Amino acid sequence: MSQAETVISFRHITMAFPGVVANDDVSLDIRKGEVFALVGENGAGKSTLMKVLYGMNEPTEGEVWVRGQQVRHFSPANAIGMGIGMVHQHFMLVPSFTVAQNVVLGDEPRKGLFCDFAKARQTVEDLVKEYGLKVEPDDRIEDISVGLQQRVEILKALRRGADILILDEPTAVLTPQETDELFAVIRRIVAEKQMTIIIITHKLGEVMAISDRVGVMRAGKLVGVCETADVSERILASMMVGKEVLLDAIERADSGEDGVAIEVEGLRVRDSRGLEAVRGVSLTVRRGEILGIAGVEGNGQSELLEAITGLRPIESGRVSILGKRADGLSPKAIRALGLSHVPEDRIATGVSVKADVTDNLIVGKERRREFSALGIHMKRGPIREYAKKVFERFDIRAAGLDTAVGSMSGGNMQKVVVAREFSFDTPVLIISQPTRGVDIGAMDFIHQQIVEKRNAGCAILLVSADLDELYRLSDRMVTIYEGEITGEFKPEDIPKTEISYYMTGGRKEARA
Amino acid sequence: MKQVRKQYLVSLGLSVLIAMLLGAALMLLTGHNPIEAYGIMFSGALGSMTDLGDTLYKSTQLAITGLATAVASQSGIFNVGGEGQMYLGALASAWLGALLKGTSPWLAIPACLCIAGLAGALWALIPALLKVKLKINEVITTILMNTIALKFCSYMSNGPLKTTERGINQGTQSISKAFRFASIDLFSGSNLTTAVVLIVFIILLVWYMMNRTTTGFEMKLTGQNESFARFSGLSAARLAVLGMLISGAMCGLLGMFETFGVQRRFRMDFSSEFYFDGMLVAMIMQYKPLGIVLMSFFFGILMTGGQRMQYIGVSSELVEIIQSFIIFLMAAESGLLGKVSRALTGGAAKKQEVKT
Repeated sequence: MSQAETVISFRHITMAFPGVVANDDVSLDIRKGEVFALVGENGAGKSTLMKVLYGMNEPTEGEVWVRGQQVRHFSPANAIGMGIGMVHQHFMLVPSFTVAQNVVLGDEPRKGLFCDFAKARQTVEDLVKEYGLKVEPDDRIEDISVGLQQRVEILKALRRGADILILDEPTAVLTPQETDELFAVIRRIVAEKQMTIIIITHKLGEVMAISDRVGVMRAGKLVGVCETADVSERILASMMVGKEVLLDAIERADSGEDGVAIEVEGLRVRDSRGLEAVRGVSLTVRRGEILGIAGVEGNGQSELLEAITGLRPIESGRVSILGKRADGLSPKAIRALGLSHVPEDRIATGVSVKADVTDNLIVGKERRREFSALGIHMKRGPIREYAKKVFERFDIRAAGLDTAVGSMSGGNMQKVVVAREFSFDTPVLIISQPTRGVDIGAMDFIHQQIVEKRNAGCAILLVSADLDELYRLSDRMVTIYEGEITGEFKPEDIPKTEISYYMTGGRKEARA
Repeated sequence: MKQVRKQYLVSLGLSVLIAMLLGAALMLLTGHNPIEAYGIMFSGALGSMTDLGDTLYKSTQLAITGLATAVASQSGIFNVGGEGQMYLGALASAWLGALLKGTSPWLAIPACLCIAGLAGALWALIPALLKVKLKINEVITTILMNTIALKFCSYMSNGPLKTTERGINQGTQSISKAFRFASIDLFSGSNLTTAVVLIVFIILLVWYMMNRTTTGFEMKLTGQNESFARFSGLSAARLAVLGMLISGAMCGLLGMFETFGVQRRFRMDFSSEFYFDGMLVAMIMQYKPLGIVLMSFFFGILMTGGQRMQYIGVSSELVEIIQSFIIFLMAAESGLLGKVSRALTGGAAKKQEVKT
């Protein structure tokens, strides 16, 4: 296999979005007929790189060569024309259509003006025979399992003549059984059809099981490419995490506050698809303590925090905030217990992008006596003065207080969220992804603010996809995998390589 | 922000210009002098106090319905049911007005105002609750409820509430003179009545509520980002319902102003889909209160003065086609002319982006 021809060549790809460099000078060759795994933490740039290949991103710099030809025009249509197919993490199928209809959708066989359904059926049956991917052409998508839906996606790509297939986190939605079946399919189409497969994943066990070679990405850079046979999960984990970003230690002090502030017991929560995402989580956070939750994204962290803050219904279990029952209460009532919340997705839930900085800073305080007469007439003077003070204290960089938040950079937008929530001065803080997509200066600032809160006696529950962040801030950490807590650690007791092992489901039984 | 507004104004201006040119072309084709016709349009709308009165009558009507749309939309709920709410307000106040005949106007008028607002608000409450409780699309329910309201009013005004006055064969009992909104001497001969004072008051009140009160602020946030509002501890559903209630009440009140003003009784044909014209204005102006008021005045000119073009032989159908052209182009400005105006103001816009 070592002499195999190169089928795809990325040359010095840089992909910059406003405020973020998602790919930084990445060069990589993919060989014909191999299964190549691309691993890395969230935001490492794996998907971005693959979207360049599939034509959804046009790189800021660098070239892409496919079978010795330079790609001049970046579009999915063009990529499909070059035999590249991509199966996205979220399937793009029409639920009410049959399997056959979905496979031919976008390029239907025609009989005059009409779609030739008989021929569509035949096409699917031929494909099923050829590739051994068993599906029933007449089943409706909404009636079949997620694993089968994924097969339909793969068939769709194959029908368009793909011989290079990109799978974006294909096992994230699959059961172990379905995963095994998918891998069997992959092995067969690679062996029999000489297809090239690129698989994006977090799960190191799967990398070992299926891939020939593996590339590790970190912070937009490709940090290494290895033959899978030459590495272990441990080595890959340490490559993914990398060296610590050098930030000065933040001074910690004992606040003297004590007592349990957040108590979660046997919490079970379903995600938006109705699947159980949090499976019996129990944890406590004391005053003056930061509890970090480490886990690969999509393992129930989001649902856990939404349930605690009242944004998502709870199946069973209980939540107490400062000794009072909080489960079943509205977000408003939970906030009134003494909690504020920095949400994981600032644009979706953290701000109103259409409103200006002042409005975004004042939300939740507008009925306070100093800002409104009788809780009705808003006092513009005091509001502006307050906003200005907060604006300066949190070092928000924007043209002015009347700048629409939507036009600000990610870091400054995040500072607006942190500034608003932190100035509620509540004893309990729930913080999710405080520095995602934020530059290092703003990140350090936000970290300082978080520790200051801790030193002042706040109980802080922190979720982050960034291990460095968790290590820097947490007093205690727990790992979460598939909705369950898989271990509890002091940051100083466990190296990053080992904790990422727990996060990927590695040695779950050892210390659960 | 300012850049966006400027670009919007440029494209709006272009739309008006192109629409008027198209109208001119159409007039030339049918053998009319467009300059003369447009001249008559403007003088017909603004040329005398009577004309101005009619234009103001139309403009204030558009402004209040436009703002009614805006209040609901800004709270995240789209009220297409204003027409029905207006009819119910009109009918309810006509009924109560007849009932209170002979009592003091100081009692009757406030009571009729209340029942008109209440009727509109309650009719709006149903789709609002269906939306927030059961997630039923309010566009569909409000449209259907328009039909129900209009048919109900038609039945009542032709049946149980039909006038018994001699020689009059449609509508309810007339509103007694003491309760009517009188015409204004300054604009004598026009449809403008003293109700305009109340309309202006309501417009100012709503503007104040939307821009200067905590509730208006919270409603706006809910409309901008419902999950952010919920996250921040606002009762998003309650605020959306409130927006709809205010919108419905405004429509109901307008129904009463027409009934107690120009019409002097409830008549089934009192509105030629006023609400939808106002809704259109609100949508064109992206629900911005000040913009709605200004655009209402322009539409008022168009609608009042446009009819005068018939004086020089432009057929009424052609007048309506020209009006529709203008409205269509303004409504479609973002799609049709957005690109052009972006190109015109684009250089500056880009620089702005980089800076912020």
